[in-house]
This record gives sequence, C-alpha cells and structure tokens, in this order.
Amino acid sequence: MALRAAISSLNPLRAGGTEMPPNLLLLVKIIALALLLTNHARLLPDPFLPFLTMFDAVPGAAFQFSVKVIFICAAVALLLNRAVRWTSLALGASILISVVASKAYYGNNKTFAGLMLLFAGLSDYDRPLHLLRWQLSLVYFGAGLNKVMDGDWQTGLFFEHWARMKVKNPVYIAFSDILPPLVAGKLMCWFTMAAELGASAGLLFGGALPYALWANVLFQAGLLEFTGTTFTMFFYAMQAATLAFVVWPKQILVIYDGDCGLCNRIRTIFESLDFDGMFEWRTYQSAIGDQHGITMQALEEKMHIVVDNAEILSGFAAFRRILMCSPWFWLVLTALIAAPPDNWQTWRRVVVALTLCLFLPVFKPVGEIVYSWVARNRRRIMPGSTCGLEPANGNTIKSA
Amino acid sequence: MNLVRILRWIIGVALLLFQIGAIVYARFVPSRYFCWAPFDMQTDYRIEASVNGEKLNAAQIRQRYRRPEKGADNRSVQHVIDIIEQAEQRYHPTDRTEVTMKYRINGKAEQVWHYARP
Repeated sequence: MALRAAISSLNPLRAGGTEMPPNLLLLVKIIALALLLTNHARLLPDPFLPFLTMFDAVPGAAFQFSVKVIFICAAVALLLNRAVRWTSLALGASILISVVASKAYYGNNKTFAGLMLLFAGLSDYDRPLHLLRWQLSLVYFGAGLNKVMDGDWQTGLFFEHWARMKVKNPVYIAFSDILPPLVAGKLMCWFTMAAELGASAGLLFGGALPYALWANVLFQAGLLEFTGTTFTMFFYAMQAATLAFVVWPKQILVIYDGDCGLCNRIRTIFESLDFDGMFEWRTYQSAIGDQHGITMQALEEKMHIVVDNAEILSGFAAFRRILMCSPWFWLVLTALIAAPPDNWQTWRRVVVALTLCLFLPVFKPVGEIVYSWVARNRRRIMPGSTCGLEPANGNTIKSA
Repeated sequence: MNLVRILRWIIGVALLLFQIGAIVYARFVPSRYFCWAPFDMQTDYRIEASVNGEKLNAAQIRQRYRRPEKGADNRSVQHVIDIIEQAEQRYHPTDRTEVTMKYRINGKAEQVWHYARP
C-alpha cells in the first residue's frame, strides 16, 4: 500500500499533494516539460563574456557540466513532484546563472522562464502571488515602453519589414498590399504596443486581471499563429504564467447520465486520469441534483458540474471546466507543441487554434451546439449502454 | 513573518527592482539588456574579421564570437557589437584584429561598424 502511494506520488500528471498550490505546480511543470522536450540542456553555455566577471574565473567545462546536471535533475524532480519549491528554485537559478554567465546565451525568453521558476519557488503559498504578477506586468511594461520609444515601431516599419521579409506571412502581405504603404505595419505596431501596455496595467489592478490574462493568452497565441514559432521558451512560460492566477477548485462534482454508454465511457477515461482525486462522478439517477437545486429534466439534457459546492455549470461550459482543471490536459498539450521538430509550424498552429476554440468565450455558442447534438444523440453514438443505478452510498451498480 | 519568508521576499523584490533599473537605464544607452525588449529590432548582419593578417572563415568567426558569420539578430544591434568588441578585449588582447560588420536595421540602408586593434 505504502509502495503504491509512493509510486503514485511520482506521477508527472499530478498537480496536487505537494506544498505548492496545484495551479502553481502546473505552471512550473509546463516550463520544465517544455525545457526537457526541446532539449534546452544542449544550449546551456560555459561562461562567455559574462555580465558578472566573476564567472570568467570559473573553469568553463566544470561550470557547464554542473549547470546541466542541476538543470536536468531539477526539471525531472519537478515533474516527479519531488521537493517542488527547491527544485523550482534550482531549475530557475540554473537558467538565470547561465544567462548572466554568457552574453551568447542571454535571451529574454530564457530570463523570463528562469524568473517564473524562481518566483514560483520564492512565493508564499498561503498568500496572493504578488511576485509573479508584478513580474508579468513588468515584462509587458518594458516591452511596450521600448516599442513606444522606437521610431521604427511608431512608423510601422518594424512590423512591415518583419512580417513581409522575415516571417513572410501571406495574410499580412495581402492585407498590407491593399492599404497605402506602412498603414498595415503601423496598425499592427500600435495594436501590439497597446496590447502590451494594456496587459501590463491590467495585471496590476484586481478588477482588470481577467481581461489582462486573456490579453496575455491571446497575444502569445496570436504570435504563434502568426509566426508558427514559440519564440524558444516565451510561449510556454507566458501561457503557463496565466495558470498562476486561476482560482483552482478543491472539488468538482460531476453529475452525468448513468444510463448512457458514452457518458460512462467518458467517466471511465476521465476518472482514470484524475490523479489528484478532484472529480467526484455521480449519476443524476441518484437524485444528487436535488441537493443542488438542479431539475431532473435539466440533468437529462446535459451534464452538470458543481464547483466547490458553489458554482454550477452545464453542457459545454461544464466539459470545458473539467478539461481546464485537469493537469494532464495542459501537460499533454505542452508535449504536443514542444515535442515535434521546429519545422512543424502548421501542427503547432492547429493545436493552438483548436485549444483557443475550446476556451475562447466567443466560440462557446458553437461548442454548445456541438455538445447539445452529441448529448441528444448520445445513446445512438454508443449503443449498448450500461444502466447506472446508484445506491445511497454513491457507488454505481452496472447492469448488462 | 519568519526570517525565511522575509528573505524570499527581499530576493524577489530585489530582482524586480533590478529590472526596473534596467528599463530606465535602457532609455540612455543603445543596448537592451534585462529591460524586456524582445524582438523589437531586426538586424541583418555580416561579419568579416581578420586576425594577425589572416582572414577568419565562417567556422572561426562562430568559434571566436559564438555568432554566425552572417545572420539576423532580433534585439539591439549593440548586443552583437558588444560581443565582438568585448570578446576581442577580454579574450584576445594581444591579437591584431580587424572586424567589419555590415548591417541593416529593419530593412533600412546598410550601415558599417568597424573595429580595429593595431
């Protein structure tokens, strides 16, 4: 039993059961996974023109070897839920030390990923995550300010050159060609600057936080869709940072149709992936809906969830929330983006676009239509359903 | 609040203050270190270098400066200049080096930067 629990605690798809809040652990795990899958260890340098000259006195090969060992051990330990605060600090420190030890390695994306890991390790877990929030805001402020002060950003020349000559984005080129010279570039430049400075301000004020986080998600996803690249670690670290501010539920009650083969199959799959024991699945036939004021008719039509005994969601919104609160979903998504070779740009674009469709509020009506169709036809989609008659103790009795 | 918690807080705030300082400092210098200016400038460059009268090939340039002989940099061009200049001064102080870098920023007219150590 103890061995089984020990093995279970090593599960990389878990986000609970450590001193770190699940959403924060998920943040650092996403970064660690992306670092490992992109084989970032190969980039870790020996000292070369360090920002701190003391690194010049360190033997290069020994430095590089030590940093690589710490980096790999810390990343693997993080994924296996071991000493998460310390391993997060160690992984972040190994990246930041490499940044200050080599001007050739220095890069904004690495610095940001390192700082996110470091701040996750430095944060107080029983208080709001101010350090992470200020860091994210500062990145957008610095980026926005530098652009606003740059003549090529003011005139739109930067974007025109970058999008046309470097990225060679056909949509932008077609758009730019129908407008007077530099107008498209200027629009995109000022939109970028407004988005960055707006996100920076929004991250500092409580009421605007959800909008700022959506701005962050859309901005980074938009960059990936536009270029097909993740800008090394920027995409992963920026998107993962959003998770730090998500209110992570303790318990989600899922009320489903126990007399439906498809629903039971989905339950089996999701339960087998619920390594943190967050979801409690109950059939609506058990009359559990009465306790939460949900009618039988509503439960017959759609799956419902009750989040922390407070919030009730149904249909597509419920399905979306289940996915959002499933650590495995984010880690598998990270793997799907990070694991393929650099030139799989179309694949990355499709994966990110589908994920956006799943979570963007604007696509919710389409999701509800699809969900309703599946729900109406659920007994036809998977015939030979099992009838779930649930006794008072909540265990489902399945009949042939 | 215990000592460890205070220490963690001090380290975190110090790192943030350092970055604020770097953002302000960047307003007065051409380089853009630690001030969050990613992908703000596209520089296409080509480096030609000779050491003690012998021209360096592409592999030698990469080894000496850890930069490709020809490429693009997406931060301030000053970062490439810093690397060449500082690599010469710090790691090859006795070499007679001549470096010419031709570059274009955001597709504008070509510029030339020259470094020579007699």
